[in-house]
Amino acid sequence: MSASFTSKWSIAGRSLLGSLSNNLLGAVKTTHEVIPRLHYNSIFSQQQRTFIQMRTNLKVVDNSGAKRVMCIQALKGRRGARLGDTIIASVKEAQPRGKVKKGEVVYGVVVRAAMQRGRCDGSEIKFDDNAVVIVNKQGEPIGTRVFGPVPHELRKKKHLKILTLAEHIA
Amino acid sequence: MRLEKCWFCSSTIYPGHGIQFVRNDAKIFRFCRSKCHKNFKMKRNPRKLKWTKAYRRLHGKDMTQDSTFELERKRNRPERYDRNVTESTLKAIKKIDKIRVAREARHHAMRMKGKKAIEQQAAAKELEQSIHLVKAPAALQEDPSLTLPKMKIKVSQSQTEDRMEE
Repeated sequence: MSASFTSKWSIAGRSLLGSLSNNLLGAVKTTHEVIPRLHYNSIFSQQQRTFIQMRTNLKVVDNSGAKRVMCIQALKGRRGARLGDTIIASVKEAQPRGKVKKGEVVYGVVVRAAMQRGRCDGSEIKFDDNAVVIVNKQGEPIGTRVFGPVPHELRKKKHLKILTLAEHIA
Repeated sequence: MRLEKCWFCSSTIYPGHGIQFVRNDAKIFRFCRSKCHKNFKMKRNPRKLKWTKAYRRLHGKDMTQDSTFELERKRNRPERYDRNVTESTLKAIKKIDKIRVAREARHHAMRMKGKKAIEQQAAAKELEQSIHLVKAPAALQEDPSLTLPKMKIKVSQSQTEDRMEE
């Protein structure tokens, strides 16, 4: 009976750990000594990065006026969008005088994703955050500048305009 | 195709291996395997981890400056293909590798040079100080030689009883 009790505690602990910070980790750890320490460390330092799906907040890295968007649909991809895919998003935060306003529904191209994407030579690439460039229905960017690095994958997806505007191609 | 160096451990990354991480300031970090990647995520300093090349070079365990390293320097200008140049480069790679290995072995030998003398001195000192652990002080007084006696022991019933009495 005690074994099942501790296992329930471990499941609760694991789900807590996914979202909690360092301090709480220490507190939770002291309450049960049964689970080995290494297990907690690995869960804490390995954040599992997944697709860009509904409700995902993304940073906008062009000068179209928007600052943050929330994905409402990933076109193509049952599980979600990845690096280089197009999404439909709703503008959550915008600059006062810009081409897009808050609450607008826009299309966007994912230019940076925290989830790693495999390249054709077998290696994998990942970025630090999730970022998007706002485009129109034809795939042309609304803004005139793109900030930060963008990946090569955009060339294959035919987003050449974004590549020309980019300051660094990873 | 280009053979990169792992940012953490400085080993070569062959095609199909590893992960590249692009930071928002456009700095690219390449890792050869998940060990290096995880250490990087933990924000560990490679100069403090003994198994990395950075540590070894910093602490003088491996050689740092040598003319054989010039061949491996990164060149960003693409070279026009020339068959003769390719052939001579391939031969040069093999030869320079051999030279580099020989020089590294010499560096290692120089590093380990005084080891035998130190070990001998330590052994002599231990013999002087701790002989009482092996031979009783009374025995030492009757026979002042410090070497251990060589005993030939025949394995038979009567002899084993004698040894136990000793």
